[in-house]
This record gives sequence, C-alpha cells and structure tokens, in this order.
Amino acid sequence: MPENGTASRGGAAPAPNLRVNLAPSNMHGLELQNPVLVASGTFGYGTEYQQLVDIQRIGAICSKGITVRPRAGNPPPRIAETPAGMLNAIGLQNVGLRGIVQEKAPIWARWSVPVIANISGESIAEFEELAGTLDGVPGIAGLEVNISCPNIRDGGRLFADDAASAAAVTRACRAVTSLPLMVKLSPNVGNVVEIALAVEAAGADALSVANTLLAMLIDVERRRPYIANRTAGLSGPAVRPVTVRMVYQITQAVSVPVVGVGGVTCTEDALQYFMAGATAVQVGTANFVNPRTATEIIDGLAAYLRQHGIADVAELVGAAHPRAARPAVSAPS
Amino acid sequence: MDLHRVLVTGNEEIMPQTHVVDVASPLLGQSSKPGQFVHIRCGPMWDPLLRRPMSIFRIRPDGVSLMVRAVGDGSQIIAASAVGAELDLLGPLGRPFTIDPSARRLAMVGGGYGVAPLVALATEALGRGCEVVLMVGAATADYVFPADELPTDVEYAVSTVDGSLGHHGLVTELLPRYLDWSDAVYACGPTPMLEAVARITRPATFGVAGAMRSRKPVELAMEQHMGCAMGVCLGCVVMTKKGYQRVCRDGPVFQADEMIWEGSHA
Repeated sequence: MPENGTASRGGAAPAPNLRVNLAPSNMHGLELQNPVLVASGTFGYGTEYQQLVDIQRIGAICSKGITVRPRAGNPPPRIAETPAGMLNAIGLQNVGLRGIVQEKAPIWARWSVPVIANISGESIAEFEELAGTLDGVPGIAGLEVNISCPNIRDGGRLFADDAASAAAVTRACRAVTSLPLMVKLSPNVGNVVEIALAVEAAGADALSVANTLLAMLIDVERRRPYIANRTAGLSGPAVRPVTVRMVYQITQAVSVPVVGVGGVTCTEDALQYFMAGATAVQVGTANFVNPRTATEIIDGLAAYLRQHGIADVAELVGAAHPRAARPAVSAPS
Repeated sequence: MDLHRVLVTGNEEIMPQTHVVDVASPLLGQSSKPGQFVHIRCGPMWDPLLRRPMSIFRIRPDGVSLMVRAVGDGSQIIAASAVGAELDLLGPLGRPFTIDPSARRLAMVGGGYGVAPLVALATEALGRGCEVVLMVGAATADYVFPADELPTDVEYAVSTVDGSLGHHGLVTELLPRYLDWSDAVYACGPTPMLEAVARITRPATFGVAGAMRSRKPVELAMEQHMGCAMGVCLGCVVMTKKGYQRVCRDGPVFQADEMIWEGSHA
C-alpha cells in the first residue's frame, strides 16, 4: 500500500544501489556489483558451482587458499559437524601458484564476476612471492591475504596472532603489488582492534573479519581428538555472534572497508553485519548447504532496501553503532 | 545434477534404523546411475547443518528410492520423512559403477548399509543379461538386508558376525568361492571390508600367483563424511596412488588398485 509522499514503495522507484567499492583508495579500486561475496575455501575456484549457481551475479569470489607450492593437505578425517556449525582442518590443499596462474586465472579473466585470490604463505618471503607473482595477472581483481588459517600452524604462531607480524606481512605484500589487498584477520586473538589498526596502517585496502575459530571435537570412544589434525577451524551459524561483535568493534576504529565473514546464511544475517559496520559480507559454510545462498541474499537485500525505502545499501553500514560514532549519513526514516 | 525439491512417495523401515524412502523425480530417475548418491538437506533450519549423503537404491523412470540409515540427528530427520513431505536433494552425484560390456558374471559384496548401491547395480546388471551374486554381511540376522527386496534372479549369500544367519563370520570370507567364477567384483561397505576385498581380489600384489585375477575389474564404493559433496570443501578425501581424491567427486567408486589403505581408516 503506497504511503503518501514515499516514492520508494511505488513501482517506478529506482532499484536500490547495491554497488560497493572495497578498495576506494587503491588505484584499481575493487568495485563490486553487490556486497555479497563467497568466502575462500567454500566455493573452490568458482568453476565447481557453475552448474548450480549463476556465479556471475555474485559480488566477488574469494578463491580457495593458494600457496606457493601445491599442497596435499591434511590426512582425514578433515571435517566434522558441530551444533549449527562445522569443523574443518583441510590444510590448504591446493594446486599451487603456478597452477593458479596457468590454469585458473585464464578462466577467471573471461568472467564478469571479480575473483579475489586468497593467498597463504608460511613466511613473509612466500607472501611476497605470491603477491608479486599475481600482480598484473589477468583474471585476478584483488588479493585476500590469509594470515589466519588455523590449520597449518605446525605448532608455530600465525602472522595474525599479533599486530607487528600481521602488519609486516601486509607491508611486504603492499610493496610488491598494486592489487587491492584485503587482509583476513583471525578471531583467535585478544585484541583484534589493535591488529586491525596495524594492518590498516601497513597498507591494507580492506579487512575480512574473520577466519574460523580455533576449535576441537573429542571422539569419546577413542579418547582422542576426532579430526586428524587435532585442532580445526569452527565455521557456520555458531560463530556468527562472535564475528558480528568483532566487525562492530573494528569498524569503529578503522576507516578501510570491512567485510564480515562468519555464519551468513540469509538476508537478515547479512543485514546484521552491515549494521555492525561491514561494507560487505562473505557467505562461507552456507554454500555447502545451499549453494544459492549468496544469490538469494542479493535478491533479499534488494527487496529489503526497497521495502524500507533505502536508496543505497551504504546507508545501513554502521547503523547499529553508538550514535556518536555513526557516519554522517541520512538516517532511515 | 541439480538441486531438486521432491515429494516423498513412500517410506518403509526395511531393517532396524534403515528406511527405504521413495521420492518422485523423473529427472533424478532418468539421470541416476548405480553407485551415485544424493545429498539431502535435513530441513530448512541450519542445525543439523550439513546435508547427508544417501545411496541411490532403486532407479525408476519416475524417481528414485534412497536407503536412509537413521544413525544420527540429521539422518533420523530424513528417515522420518512422511509420505507427501518435501525433500531438498542435490544430485545425482559422484562417479557410478561401470559394467564392462564383456562381463557376464558379477560378484558383489555389501557390508551393512553398503548393500544399497549394489542393489541398483544388480538390477541394472540383470537387465543386461548378466548373472549376479550378492554377498551381504551384517552384525546379526536382524540387520541382514531382506531377500524380498532383491530381484529373484540374484543369487544371495548371507553372513553374520554372530552366526545368527548364514555364514558365521565376515562377508569377505564368502568372496573367494566366487572369485574364479566372476568377471568383475564390486563392493561397498566399511573401509576395513573394502580393504579386505582389495586384498582378496589382488593376490598378485601380495606375492601369490594370480596374474589372470589381477586384471579383473574390482570397483569399490568408498564411504567418508561429506561436507559439500560438490568437490569444493575437500573434506571427504581418501588416499590413492594419485594422492588425496575426493569421495564425492572423484568417487565414490574407485578401482581397487588405485587405493592406498595405510592410514585410511582408524
């Protein structure tokens, strides 16, 4: 029922704007047709779901994590279901950098959907090699710097564990590529805001928040951890309240765009992240259950904005922040 | 392969905790092959989270029948599907069994719930004029796949671990007597059983004479916990001579001589 004076409810109302730029200060930018991405490790190299999903409609595809050399990954069991979530310890099984450049990137270059290559190094030198090699490769729209995979730590520390090493990786990548850099933070830290600020200062164009939560399942019959790697990463709806909180805290401190990742299954979940301050979201584990989750959320967002008379998804970003910290946009009436 | 919303047209508990669920879907019925599976969502909610893989047990022009073993929270929901309910299915998925056109006599070994894809395979093989023997093993007589679910032309051999029906022992102990007779061997069941089938059918590998036998096709349908079933999550791997392979995409049917068994089961 049209209300007096509200053009937004009429059939002639312009479609709401879903476009976002995840790297506004980068020379290439990272402009997406909508703010719904698919998360690394949950959408393969993009090709696997083509038969089921209109992948060109997705905001961007974050590739399976890429390492310098091919990796076989961890022994099975690699996954387990947990309440409203799952554990995984895949161990970055992937075709390696050369395979990406020679086999995958040429496919991505023919697509309209941007592909963000997720890169993972065991040393700063490896991150430099990955970022430098991928710079200028057609088909790669940006890099997601994975400093936070919990499944390859081999007992050591992760770069994401403290501000200084997180910033060092970011700086090293920044020095060798002009591609937009999105740095993927770990939720398994004490002060994530401090790390976010350090990564921003080191040249990140955007942050993705966050990787999986370090977790464990015990097989009580065998009296040992169920997953062969012992520890694993928890993902799915179970983690959403944790990562929404992190996005809420980080976005009040940094100015670069933040992409919310963790348990996004539907439009309402995405809206939570936007209102917590995220510029975009990544759909992860939900892809395994409903491969069309991202495209359904894109439709759902447009419908929500139309219904509420909101012209631009950006108007929602940070809507839940405390009043004083809210960006100066017109409040929805 | 596609996402399907299908109606449940039948649901019968054929053994304790094991249901045959019939679904209507001409698309699935006409595109499914023995050895393939479907990935079923437990419901519209997100807990239990993951889909459950279920074997295609019967293939009809108007749909398929699935064997559903109700062992956990998710599979119990699926097994309880009432006639008229809707299921969200992804499939058919995976590499099916293959029957060489020259094969006339097929030996099949099913452990427990692993009998499901072999029933579909046996039915197809009979249609091609093959002779089929199906050996099934179960813990006790209660869990032996009921003979009246099988086409009558299939020779049926039963074993139970407790000796309450048929051969007293493991189903793989029945296999040697059919080895020389058969042109090809197929198996589905727990990993230790599949390893035993591979060992029994490949004597040459273990230093025993048997060059003729070693060329016989032996196909194994592997079981593994699955995430996406689309080859994406890399959760369901098994070790093979080509490295880790995905049960959902590269399998579930593998050639026995491809497999590396060490460390493949707990």
